[in-house]
Amino acid sequence: MLESDVLSPSRKSPAPPRSHLWRDIVKARWPYLFVSPFYLFFLAFGLYPVAFSIYLSFTQWKGNGPIRFIGLNNYSLLLHDNVFWQSMLNGVLLFFIYVPIMTLLALVLAVILNSRRVRGFKLFRTLIFMPYITNMVAAGFTFQILLNEKYGLLNYLFGIFHLPAVPWLESVWGARISLGLLVTWAWLGYNMIIMLAGLQTIPNELNEAALIDGANPQQAFFLVTIPLLRPVILFSVVLSTMGSFNLFTEGFALFSGSRGHGPVNSAITPLIAIYEQAFGNFKFGYASAMSYVYFAIIFALTLLQVRYFGRED
Amino acid sequence: MNRISPIKHLALIFVAVAMVLSACTPAATSEPQTIEITKIVAGTPVVEQVVVTATPLPEATAAPKPTGKITLWGWKAALDTIKGGVLDDFKNEYPDIEVEIVELSTNDLYQKLLLAISAGTGAPDISVIENSHLAQYVDLGGLTDLTDRVTPYLDKMNQYKWHDAQMDGKYYAMPWDSGPVVLYYRRDVFKAAGLPDDPDGVSQAIATWDDYLNACKTIKEKTHADCFALNKANNYGRLYEMMLWQQGLGYYNEQGEITADSPENIATLEKMVEFWDAGVVSDQQEWTDGWYAELGSNETPIASIVEAAWMGVFLKTFIAPGTAGNWGVALMPAVKAGQVRSANDGGSTMVIPAQSENPDAAWAFIEFALGREESQLKMFAISDFIPSLETTYSNAMFIEPDSFFGGQVTRKVYTEVVKQIPQAYVYGPNYTLMNGFISTAVQKVAAGQMSATDALKEAAEAIRLQTGTD
Repeated sequence: MLESDVLSPSRKSPAPPRSHLWRDIVKARWPYLFVSPFYLFFLAFGLYPVAFSIYLSFTQWKGNGPIRFIGLNNYSLLLHDNVFWQSMLNGVLLFFIYVPIMTLLALVLAVILNSRRVRGFKLFRTLIFMPYITNMVAAGFTFQILLNEKYGLLNYLFGIFHLPAVPWLESVWGARISLGLLVTWAWLGYNMIIMLAGLQTIPNELNEAALIDGANPQQAFFLVTIPLLRPVILFSVVLSTMGSFNLFTEGFALFSGSRGHGPVNSAITPLIAIYEQAFGNFKFGYASAMSYVYFAIIFALTLLQVRYFGRED
Repeated sequence: MNRISPIKHLALIFVAVAMVLSACTPAATSEPQTIEITKIVAGTPVVEQVVVTATPLPEATAAPKPTGKITLWGWKAALDTIKGGVLDDFKNEYPDIEVEIVELSTNDLYQKLLLAISAGTGAPDISVIENSHLAQYVDLGGLTDLTDRVTPYLDKMNQYKWHDAQMDGKYYAMPWDSGPVVLYYRRDVFKAAGLPDDPDGVSQAIATWDDYLNACKTIKEKTHADCFALNKANNYGRLYEMMLWQQGLGYYNEQGEITADSPENIATLEKMVEFWDAGVVSDQQEWTDGWYAELGSNETPIASIVEAAWMGVFLKTFIAPGTAGNWGVALMPAVKAGQVRSANDGGSTMVIPAQSENPDAAWAFIEFALGREESQLKMFAISDFIPSLETTYSNAMFIEPDSFFGGQVTRKVYTEVVKQIPQAYVYGPNYTLMNGFISTAVQKVAAGQMSATDALKEAAEAIRLQTGTD
């Protein structure tokens, strides 16, 4: 800070002189020292890569050797990149495939468990949450086996009921639905816990009051509980929206044979596409440009969602 | 989904720090390893006396032997072969060089090597690299120029192996093994279908891919067995690439122009599609349980598989040990009658990253392991990876009958095929990218969404756009 700034009469509340600030820092040196690791790591592994990849997005770089500035070429190339746009579309489709069902299921399960009428509710809570902490690579591999068209358990069960075998991992829509199944399985527990936590913040008195006023249990649920739970549901849906674009390990594990692409790129997600350009094709400049376009789109989507759902009536 | 919780954030940071630290600090020294040579030949009594005609080694020159410590990166199959085949001998010859072996999955290896080269630190002294990825790393830079060191071996190795190892007249890698492609077939199934079942008879009867198609139809008709596995939805172009390779084709030409949509490429893909149209192939994807199941089955067998010589080892050991004696090895069919019946799939090399502080010791190891007939043969005895070093082929090991293949002298077939592998343009600096687009194209054709012409044109356009060569 410049001396003239500090002394400037135009300021209504002059900033404290520099020595003052420094004295405060010295005084609180231990707390600052103890919180500094986070900020140092954040600078090195958070802020620096983010800033560096803005620069990279205007260049061509293999990861070694000279960095060549190419202006907006990466961005214009991106406009014609069918794989990238397919991956964005896949994100949208995946959202519709699993987010409504998963959110509804999570809500229903949370309400059931919250009612405490279930015996052994802790056991169920643990069981439902378990997939979330299961290693995704192992889970993806297991799903591959379960969903195998010819030898899988699911199609075997279908066969018992004389239903035709479904090409789960071998067709465009089958692949997307399979991925949706895996994601729902893995993330249901996480979302249920969020809802359960939300339900537990709603005081019982509100429901009781509604019941005394003559509402039936259904009305109490839909007119009292759900509106109060709205911010929590919004939180869960916003996370799931970002999640369906952010999918990486799930798709990579389930479609390990095609490096996460799925049949005719039906299951490739933006993150897999970006990863492949960077670490498969050594196109770091292009991958950076993809990341930024991807970020802008997700940011806009999230804003829309918060605006649309989050506004109080 | 990547919702990063604070805990995960912390974990990520720890991992990052750990990676940085581990790159800086020398890892714990490895214990000296005593490994016996174990033969991988399952289910069959095998005469395995490794007869090695040791060629007289050039007398040690005046220069002192290199000393110090070197690190070697590789994946399990490669490292098991090195440990069992040459490590002890190397230690006897170079007692002052300590070799630390680091086992990684191939994906991890490629990613870590990229990051280490990019970061300027953390690379090993030696890395094994598959030929499919070699040119990409040569192009990336950061490898030691081995031109002077490999010059004595230029004539001794399979010629096609040098193509990906060089850039601008300089060589950056030393070939290890080659992947000569052959036709593996089930003798019992061919017999049941009334086809010839001895290797020479099969090679003659199935001289072209058209012959192969007819044989497949006969097999399907007479035995109901599928001819081979050719997955539609997740096909990644492996067989297509072998068919391109045998014609000396690929995705680009000598001048670097993209030729993925050339008339020859389109005709090749159309030839492959005929097998789908005829309904004679199974839909199992390579390297999945279903694929293993049909290859290893005696009740519902699959009649054949076109693949490189290393497939023989995998069939023997873990995919189909229960089918011993029922397999045969014939020449792969040609696309057009009279054309060469040989292609490559896979194969590996070794490189020395430029960061190595001890390239002399690293080269001493590479030359010992890959340049000496004795070492190559010992590794061959363990893994059956066909040495790229052609001077080994006269050894008695190559005329041993193999009981898994009904007593056939299979290695003789491999060496005949390997010497004919044509120069092709499948692998290259942009192989990963090109293979990605071609896989999608093949899948589109398989699903009936597009004609071979349109799909390959679309893929070639995308490749041209992304590689910036038009």
